[in-house]
Amino acid sequence: MNGTGPAGNGFEQRLGRLLIVVTYAAVALLAIGVVLLLLAGISPLSGGPPLDPARLVSDLLALDPAGFLWLGILVVIATPLSRVIGAAAGFIGRGERLMAVVSLAILGVIAISVVTALATG
Amino acid sequence: MVVALSLLAGGAAAGLFGSLLGLGGGVLLVPLLTLVFGLDLREAIGVSLISVIVTSSAAAGVYLERHVANLRLGMTLELFTAMGALVGGLIAFLVDERWLALLFAALLVYVAITMLRAREPAPDDVARLPPEPVDDSDRHVEPPLTTDLASFRAAALAHLSGDTYAVRHLGRGVAGSAAAGVLSALLGIGGGIVKVPLMHIGMGVPLRVATATSNLMIGITAAASAVIYLIRGEVDPYVTGPVAIGVFVGASLGSRAAHRIELRVLNLLFVAVLLWTALQMLLKALG
Repeated sequence: MNGTGPAGNGFEQRLGRLLIVVTYAAVALLAIGVVLLLLAGISPLSGGPPLDPARLVSDLLALDPAGFLWLGILVVIATPLSRVIGAAAGFIGRGERLMAVVSLAILGVIAISVVTALATG
Repeated sequence: MVVALSLLAGGAAAGLFGSLLGLGGGVLLVPLLTLVFGLDLREAIGVSLISVIVTSSAAAGVYLERHVANLRLGMTLELFTAMGALVGGLIAFLVDERWLALLFAALLVYVAITMLRAREPAPDDVARLPPEPVDDSDRHVEPPLTTDLASFRAAALAHLSGDTYAVRHLGRGVAGSAAAGVLSALLGIGGGIVKVPLMHIGMGVPLRVATATSNLMIGITAAASAVIYLIRGEVDPYVTGPVAIGVFVGASLGSRAAHRIELRVLNLLFVAVLLWTALQMLLKALG
């Protein structure tokens, strides 16, 4: 049976809260980007700029909609990853070796996705 | 401004109806973005994957807090959906877009048929819902490491089972999850349409737990392929922003309104819309 005693519940509750908080942070960033997009009068179908990590901070400081939208998208993708990282830490702390290995393997698959896309893109 | 607001409204409609009808937003979003807004199919899939992560993450957070989702089962299966999504994400860039459109048309027909045949959850599903835990000890038991495969499998299944139900047929779950991952990456959908029946009918998980656990898995499934679409330049931030916000708002409204709305008529209306959309996608596939 899976761990649903108080310790298990607290662990899952923390993971749930983490997911909610990071999701709302991502939605807030996207919402700011959309408002800036509307204020700038840019047509969304005109084609947005590609992701350039080097420009992200300067775009944010300049209140460029692309900066907020890209950061929001990156936080969206990072949201489920943060849950897996949190779960991995929790499983390691609770001595659940098998689930810790599963968590780390999931992160490994995501890393392979990134590397493969970069290599073949 | 009109286009941005239209994308916002379109996303909200997809999120609202998707939530009301128990579909992921992706099934509705991809045809909307390609047929109405004229987006390239792969670009629409990239946008859809990001939107799917937003809505599923919010829902999964609530399900985890309420102890409805089975975290260990979800994480075990999502390892394989992520692998499937990685493969699907790579295949998506190798096949002609017309094949993707054809596959999407087939998916829409399948969803329409599933909706027509849908029934209310069986009473035993409600009876088998996990109760609020009352145990005052942490009952986690690590499956023992053993060279006896059968013993290990039995221990692992027990480890993944809930308090009031036993998970079975893990191999079936693994294979089905990998297939759901491939489909998710190819078509920009969450894959719940495969995962929920797989866990419920195929693995003995109560419907509500299967739905919650599927939501938990969708985030990683979509993230595994979304990074491929993003790195290959198929995620446009200007389109993704309004659509994702719209889907998030629409899905939130839908989850609050679902129990107040008579869904039978809406269901039938939607089957007609899905079949019409399938026809349009088929025509797109045929050029």
